[in-house]
Amino acid sequence: MSSDRKIRVLVAKPGLDGHDRGARVIAYGLRDAGFEVIYTGLRQTPEQIARAAIQEDVDMIGLSVLSGAHIGLTKKVIELLREQGGGDIPLLVGGLIPEADRPALMEMGVVKIFTAGSAISEVAAFIESRVVSAVSG
Amino acid sequence: MAEQSWDELVEGLRVGELRALARFITRIENRYPGWQDAMKALYPHTGRARLLGITGPPGAGKSSLTSRIAAGFAQRGRRVGIIAVDPSSPFSGGALLGDRLRMNDVSTKAGIFIRSMATRGSLGGLCQGARDVARALDAAGYDIILIETVGVGQDEIEVVKAADVVAVVCVPGQGDGVQALKAGIMEIADLFIVNKADREGADQVVADIRGMLALAGDDGDGLQPIFETNALSGAGIEELIDALGVRAEQSECSAERADARAREEVLMLIEHELALRVRTRLSSGCRLDDAVERVRKGEDDPYSAAESLLAFFDDVRSESEKHE
Amino acid sequence: MNEAERELERVKQAEAEWCEEVVEPRLKRFQIPESPTRFYSPAEQGGFDFLGKVGFPGQYPFTAGNRPFEPWRVHAEAAAKLDMGTGRGASGAGRYSGYGTAEDYRDYLLAAQKRGNRGGPNVAFDLVTQCGYDSDDPRAVGEVGRVGVAIDSLRDFRVIYEAFTGERDIDKVASNFTINAPCGVILAMLAVLAEERGIPLAKLRGTPQNDILKEFIARGTYIYPPRASMRLFRDTMVFCRQHMTAMNINSIGGYHIREAGATRVEDLAFSLANGIAYLQEGVDAGLDVDDFATKFTFNAFGGSMEVYHEIAFQRAARRMWARIVKERFGARNPRAMMIRQAITAHIGCSSTTLQRPLNNLARSVAGGMAAGMVGGMPSVFPPFDEPLGLGHSREAIQLQVDASRIMLYETGLCDVNDPWAGSYFMESLTDQTEAAAQEELDRIEGMGGAVAAIDSGYMPRAVAKSAYERQKRIESQQDFVVGVNCFTGENELNVELDHESEGMYDSDHLGSAEDRQLAKLATLKRERSEREVARGLTTLEQHAKDTETNLMPDLIECVKSEATMQEICDVLRGVFGEAEPAKL
Repeated sequence: MSSDRKIRVLVAKPGLDGHDRGARVIAYGLRDAGFEVIYTGLRQTPEQIARAAIQEDVDMIGLSVLSGAHIGLTKKVIELLREQGGGDIPLLVGGLIPEADRPALMEMGVVKIFTAGSAISEVAAFIESRVVSAVSG
Repeated sequence: MAEQSWDELVEGLRVGELRALARFITRIENRYPGWQDAMKALYPHTGRARLLGITGPPGAGKSSLTSRIAAGFAQRGRRVGIIAVDPSSPFSGGALLGDRLRMNDVSTKAGIFIRSMATRGSLGGLCQGARDVARALDAAGYDIILIETVGVGQDEIEVVKAADVVAVVCVPGQGDGVQALKAGIMEIADLFIVNKADREGADQVVADIRGMLALAGDDGDGLQPIFETNALSGAGIEELIDALGVRAEQSECSAERADARAREEVLMLIEHELALRVRTRLSSGCRLDDAVERVRKGEDDPYSAAESLLAFFDDVRSESEKHE
Repeated sequence: MNEAERELERVKQAEAEWCEEVVEPRLKRFQIPESPTRFYSPAEQGGFDFLGKVGFPGQYPFTAGNRPFEPWRVHAEAAAKLDMGTGRGASGAGRYSGYGTAEDYRDYLLAAQKRGNRGGPNVAFDLVTQCGYDSDDPRAVGEVGRVGVAIDSLRDFRVIYEAFTGERDIDKVASNFTINAPCGVILAMLAVLAEERGIPLAKLRGTPQNDILKEFIARGTYIYPPRASMRLFRDTMVFCRQHMTAMNINSIGGYHIREAGATRVEDLAFSLANGIAYLQEGVDAGLDVDDFATKFTFNAFGGSMEVYHEIAFQRAARRMWARIVKERFGARNPRAMMIRQAITAHIGCSSTTLQRPLNNLARSVAGGMAAGMVGGMPSVFPPFDEPLGLGHSREAIQLQVDASRIMLYETGLCDVNDPWAGSYFMESLTDQTEAAAQEELDRIEGMGGAVAAIDSGYMPRAVAKSAYERQKRIESQQDFVVGVNCFTGENELNVELDHESEGMYDSDHLGSAEDRQLAKLATLKRERSEREVARGLTTLEQHAKDTETNLMPDLIECVKSEATMQEICDVLRGVFGEAEPAKL
């Protein structure tokens, strides 16, 4: 494996929520951490997210939701990924996620939840560690 | 999950497995060990696709246009691959690949595959990378491949040289206008597109392009056509796609162009490989470090340092040749 | 040199001596290159032009405030004695709210009225409605009735107003609508409702947000491209001036822009640029600026805990807007030059922290102090548990309301208009803020104005970059956020909150809202006349293609025929296209 391997991350906002400050900050931040960020912006349907993740062969999917619709949307994305052969692509969720909803998300298969205002370095380090262990595992 | 072999991926992509295609592309892009053999195995299955390069300054609406063109070809029964290129950050090596954002309409259409690529820097590596990815798409059955670039670096012009048809996109309202187009673009363009043609100043842009073409002189090919479009509303798109389709078919005919392209690709592969070997060779041992130290201290000039390293390299080669 | 100039020279001389004799030795002693604090003397403001730069409260340039005193200040004592809220008055719009189906929201409002609320509806719509979709669109899944009430048609709209009849009919209470892209549709619904109730349009009061430009920059609920959106804005504005003459036209401003990450200067410059674009639409439509500009309102600008800067901001904003309306647009009516806003300074939700939420109260109070010192009600916003995302608890609301009251009644903050007027420091800071905003504004005007700056992606990208810069400064400890990047790990208090706040939404309703709404939609489509609907939509489409035609009459016909929100918006999508997302 070439040491030039870039880590590719999909940053998407599912649903109709238009607050993309967090998603944009993470996109810039991960770029500056050396990642290739496929930023798909607002109003992504679960279909678009799953398709993009597979076509772009990303190492991680980052969903940003602040409208409260996270449970349904995340579930749908994970379902579609599995259907299309992308079930092994890990998914993390960021935004406004009440404590009470976190277990449900983790149970669905979300690998990590980052609350709003998480440090970019934390997110980058987490993704990197996942990729390293996926490669060597 | 066990890693798939090259063969498995090639087989998979040929029968339409998106995941296999995507993974194959990643490995090619990263020059995963065995990639050359994989490309050799793939090569016989390529040759059907036509590459359309779409370039032009930022803000011209290239991504939206690409999306529309893809949709149009798909409607005409073609399978379309899109390679959307964005620059890598020279500081971090990362990249923000945001062209996909404008392609929501086609991102889930069956028969359309979108892949975002970063320029990843040096040595003209992009051109080859995009060519290889285009071949993968070709082998996977996509017969129209759109390569969309940023149009501000030299790399982008290089990529576009690999294409069968090159379309240059301009828009009204950009300060410097057509004059700012990079030297060389006028020569390689097969056709021009004036997007956002509903805006004020569109006529001026068309006139400017005609003016520059006239200045460039008649190369015997005749004047390139200019299309006016509005990617948002769809105006002018059908005519554009018709013209692109025709051009794509015709482009096969030029033996001269095919010769130039093959020559360039072989040379580029050789240069790239040689450069890699030189770096690898020099990075073992401290000859390079010593030479650099001497230059830094002012004990030697960079030209002599390079010369002596090259001489060493020649010596090593001729030594190894003797032993063969 | 006259006496004033000589005095200034003496001060400058004294300052130089002070630097040498007092400051330098101290810097040396502490071994630092410069002082962490600043002092402002008359040297900063030599020859200060009071009348030109400040003026008196209620007079151009309105730096010191829009009025000599505000109604809430007059009624404050009486309100305290009667234990009444010091809100905008009984008939103003009530608390911002909305959820579920129209029936759920109506019942919520009725319950609030029973508890003593007397305001009109201050309506939050769900994202489906705000983006011009119906509840049965695939994009609506999971979103119906979530962040606001679901309105798919006139039927739904009418149901809300079952809570406002008789003494509280729509000519007696004000309605606020946080709606932007499909504002025309909502106003059309209001017009039809008024007609049904025999109430003249001229009697309707309220404020639609109707600030589409900021949606492209910061909030994301746009539908059509910017130019087409401005045409729709023009149509609503002209309709209001001709028919709903008591309605405000819009509620514009930088709050959302700042929340999306804009700097203070960008907040001000972009808000003004947007305001200029809206004013220009009015002028281009042949309206009289002395008339229609009096119906422009400002939602709120953004804020922060930097009290001095936010005070300077508000003063600069008032002065700049007044000058723009007067000098650039030639207004003569002072009322047209005022920034009409209900709330002045306050912090935004983005200034609150999830860590140690109790600290957010201190932050909100800082915002309220700035408000109190700049002519506004001390607005202690938001409630401290805002970032928890669970709705506001009783504790948080109580503290919020009482903190505001404490500032009003116990500190005396609101007893002086523009207390900082004439301060060497504050006048300097106001000038600086204005100059910086003017530079940015000039840049935008140089691009061709707000619409051009949005089309090119300039404004959205600038905001995203500023958000990123702020994040980097926090992560590198250039900016300090207590409990987040400094002083962490001590005293992490577990906060038990009583979420039984009176204004809670029924979560069962919320859960079933989507299904109930879908059923209602199906019924509607069965019961209405498809021919009428088709006729209305066809006419709308025709007229939409002609930019000169005002679409409000057609929207009213469509709404009357019970065409749905999405059916109407889709027709316009067909003509105008959809806005493209901004690239990073």
